[in-house]
Amino acid sequence: MRFILVDKILEMTPGRTIRAVKTLSPAEELFQDHFPGFPVVPGVLLTEMMAQAAGKCLFAEDPKRGRPMLAQIKVASFRDWVRPGEEITLVGEIRSSRPQFAAASCHAEVHGHLVCSAELLFSFQAASNFAEGYRDEVLERFRERAAGETTGNATNS
Amino acid sequence: MDQREALNWIAEVFEEAPGSMTPETLREDIRTWDSMGVLTLMAGMDEKFSIVMTDADIQTMRKVDDILAVLRKHNKLDQTP
Repeated sequence: MRFILVDKILEMTPGRTIRAVKTLSPAEELFQDHFPGFPVVPGVLLTEMMAQAAGKCLFAEDPKRGRPMLAQIKVASFRDWVRPGEEITLVGEIRSSRPQFAAASCHAEVHGHLVCSAELLFSFQAASNFAEGYRDEVLERFRERAAGETTGNATNS
Repeated sequence: MDQREALNWIAEVFEEAPGSMTPETLREDIRTWDSMGVLTLMAGMDEKFSIVMTDADIQTMRKVDDILAVLRKHNKLDQTP
């Protein structure tokens, strides 16, 4: 399983809010263990999904600050099961964004129903610490789509 | 906010028991007052008190009273303990 836990960004105002989606295929190996006969998306993955979504919103705001890294899960609540194949909508609202840290209130929904929420704290890692050429393809696709919509060539990829 | 409330808030930031802090508690005696603890403190100051801590604030902190001093400087702490 790759650890890209955001499929698509639906809406984003950099440094303010983001709305994105993720679906885990029922074929993912993890569902064999979590749990046999009762497959559900692990809460740690839901938390990581929310963190990745909020992280993209922060990175889009100021790439020079570095890559946002999850530093603290201040509060997290898991309110309902998420089944394999269900589309999870990830919502992030940036509460504070400073040079050294950022805080976000995030939640996830399935069919408009709240399934989990979390308060997350991020620190930043300099781009030089990552592999050369490391790119955020999900963010780039969103930007391309947004640019296309601006010029009247919107695609729905 | 009085000093007792401030000390309990600082304890919460560093994931220590309420009542465990005094102004004289040293940084090296708080296990979680590390780089992550500093980040949590900065975020907490920002969120709860709208205080943006400076690098000078961070670098000169040696004990809990230095955190109280930042709160005092921004008029977030009663002047009398």
